[in-house]
Amino acid sequence: MKKACFTLLVSLLLTVCLAGVSEPGEDLQQDLKDLSIEELMKIEVATVYGASRYEQKVTEAPSSVSIVTADEIKKYGYRTLSDILRSLRSFHVTYDRNYAYLGVRGFGRTGDYNSRFLVLIDGHRINDNVYDSVSIETGFILDVDLIDRIEVIRGPSSSLYGSNAFFGIINIITKRGRDLAGVEVSGEAGSFDTYKGRLSFGNKFENGIEMTLSGSLLDSKGQDLFFEGFDNPATNNGIAQGCDYDRNYSLFSKLSYHDFTFEGAYVSRTKGIPTASFDTDFNDPRNHTVDALGYVDLKYEHDFQTQAHVMGHIFYDAYGYKGDYIYSGVVNKDFAKGEWWGGEVMLNKTLFERHKFTAGGEYQVNSKQNQKNYNEDPFEMLLDDKRRSKRWALYIQDEFTIFKNLIFNAGVRHDHYDKFGGTTNPRLALIYNPFETTAFKLLYGSAFRIPNVYELYYTVSPQKGNSDLKPEEIKSYELVYEQYFSKTLRMTFSGFYDKITNLIDSTIDPSDNFLVFKNVEEIEAKGLEVELEGSWDSGLKGRISYAFQDVKNSKTDETPVNSPKHLAKFNLIVPIIQEKVFTGMEVRYTSKRKTLAGKEVEDFFITNVTVFAQKLLKGLEISGSVYNLFDKKYRDPGSGEHRQDSIEQDGRNFRFKLTYKF
Amino acid sequence: MCVLLVLITVTNTYSQEQKLGEYDVKAAFIYNFLKFVEWPDKASADTTVNLCVLGNDPFGSAIDSVQGQIVNNKRIVIKRHNDTHALGKCQVLFISRSEKEQLSQILATLTGMNILTVSDTRGFAEQGVIINFYLEENKVRFEVNLDAINRSRLKISSRLLSLAKIVHDSGR
Repeated sequence: MKKACFTLLVSLLLTVCLAGVSEPGEDLQQDLKDLSIEELMKIEVATVYGASRYEQKVTEAPSSVSIVTADEIKKYGYRTLSDILRSLRSFHVTYDRNYAYLGVRGFGRTGDYNSRFLVLIDGHRINDNVYDSVSIETGFILDVDLIDRIEVIRGPSSSLYGSNAFFGIINIITKRGRDLAGVEVSGEAGSFDTYKGRLSFGNKFENGIEMTLSGSLLDSKGQDLFFEGFDNPATNNGIAQGCDYDRNYSLFSKLSYHDFTFEGAYVSRTKGIPTASFDTDFNDPRNHTVDALGYVDLKYEHDFQTQAHVMGHIFYDAYGYKGDYIYSGVVNKDFAKGEWWGGEVMLNKTLFERHKFTAGGEYQVNSKQNQKNYNEDPFEMLLDDKRRSKRWALYIQDEFTIFKNLIFNAGVRHDHYDKFGGTTNPRLALIYNPFETTAFKLLYGSAFRIPNVYELYYTVSPQKGNSDLKPEEIKSYELVYEQYFSKTLRMTFSGFYDKITNLIDSTIDPSDNFLVFKNVEEIEAKGLEVELEGSWDSGLKGRISYAFQDVKNSKTDETPVNSPKHLAKFNLIVPIIQEKVFTGMEVRYTSKRKTLAGKEVEDFFITNVTVFAQKLLKGLEISGSVYNLFDKKYRDPGSGEHRQDSIEQDGRNFRFKLTYKF
Repeated sequence: MCVLLVLITVTNTYSQEQKLGEYDVKAAFIYNFLKFVEWPDKASADTTVNLCVLGNDPFGSAIDSVQGQIVNNKRIVIKRHNDTHALGKCQVLFISRSEKEQLSQILATLTGMNILTVSDTRGFAEQGVIINFYLEENKVRFEVNLDAINRSRLKISSRLLSLAKIVHDSGR
């Protein structure tokens, strides 16, 4: 680690020097009144601290927040949501060449389909109602080019959001029509025969209507992969040929008029399974999954002069999954179909000047939560499980400004499920700003996740359901210290302690060797995080973070699978030609992780570099990226359905991207 | 330790150099805004433009440099106020941070008065102030609340809007 620290120090120093060079040393003593607004906007001023710092809003947020903007997505060459999230402090992503799994603060449950994170797009929940899953790789419903910004909130937030807001919330805000202001065509080509295209249109019209329409297509042939465990002539010497393909298409639309916003989105992704998971035939390209998700959402938002804000939305979502698994040549078909609809109403109001109240209610009907599995020929029905359920919730939160520099934030939410009854979850935060540039936050919260129908009722060999599952719960304590240095640097220090009870995890039943989900033991996690973030005038921008996380099973005192102790991230955007050409570089470090077989996957550093150019020709943006620059061989732990104890990840690969706007 | 070392180097490199005052620049902005805003007819007969500051004045002498200047054939007069009683004569009203707690009442009083409200406090634009300054990488930027413009019956040139970050009334 010492060497890494030195490298980082040198690069930071270097960037500071660069920033210093590009700063205009003009002697602006002319009469300001003679300057135009455009000229005034170029002047650098000596600031009064915090006088109008929007970024400082983060210091008032009752949790530990990271924000990623559209600009960073371009300059770092991010291709998927998982690319974005793995660059953030204390996050790590595991990929099994079928789905990607998000981990945070030492929890990395492979095979959980990201059910412990709540993902919202413009306030609309996209976790499905069969697996609670969210695809963060190419199956993510939104082309990352349409993201305006992402707010990542760590820690449990069931007090406002209910189930799934277990380890954190990923809140995605899409670009507005006027941000596109015209037609945008984008094309990209990358390693492993990967091609992607996007066509978007957006604008705001004189009559007040604002709209965005966008469609994307991706086709990737993938790689021929070698798996040691299958290295014998009967299984093609361990080479899975043409089994790693990845295809998707997605559509997005948004239409707003005055207080109303309609949003609709759809994605369908087809992925080959090269790992022969669930004991399927190795090297059979017919092994694949298709996941599709679509939603429509109509939102009404209105502000009253009396500092009150009302939001209401109604939605309908549908999710479909289809998997083909080949067993000795017999095609086994696995299906899930979810449909749900509902509504939410929320009111914010400032009362007695010092209180900001938020109150709301949510109602959701899961009209379909079906799972099916059969063998095609000879036909044999193995599972045909149909479920429905309902849930409702009420929540209230108050932000009480006790003194100008002391805010107390308290929220509580009650959720009711027709199958599990009620659960009540609080969140308390005390935010103290002794100086404009300093914030201390003391946070407490609890959250829950109810078992999903997959965990409860999916019984197809080698797996069986467990209808006795109880909701899992987390309690979390966190102390955050945020400090601004000069105008450009922010440091965040955070210490946390999490305790999870009744964690739902895939286990092997010793009586019949079936995989079964159980409420296993208790997990305790504690950790420390530190992050330094800076952003300078020249367009120079960066962050560096380190996270130490110690996760233990309280009974066995063992560290769980896929739980790295150390994570470090370094991200830097350096302008090469002012406002035109930039390099985005990132280095990620993940320490060794335990695998299911009790072995370890090695630690690794991964470096990605992107060169991004804009404004060279009107409307044109070009970027070229190299991922895993040093071609580091690294592996992620596999999960119960894999014969591989660990799965090798992509080596060095490239992408070239062109975007034209007119 | 490593982080600390980095910090020290960085802060040292960034010791303050000679820069223009934030409020000198903001005053020049306000002066410029006058060229791009049109008031409804009844106000156009006046020979002066009253530029008022409400609450703790952050400008100090910075704003005095525009006192007496002529814009669109009108002479600028600076007035400082501590309450909302006599704001009817203002064409431009800068609302200081000190008024944060009373902002909604102030804006309610101004309803129908055709006043260009200006501020430099986070969240003020969303609450209904027309133009709100903010800083981005130490440069002065401004956001404009389109809903507030519509309520005010002022006409703001699209050129000014094109330089602004557009916001709307909001809350969440």
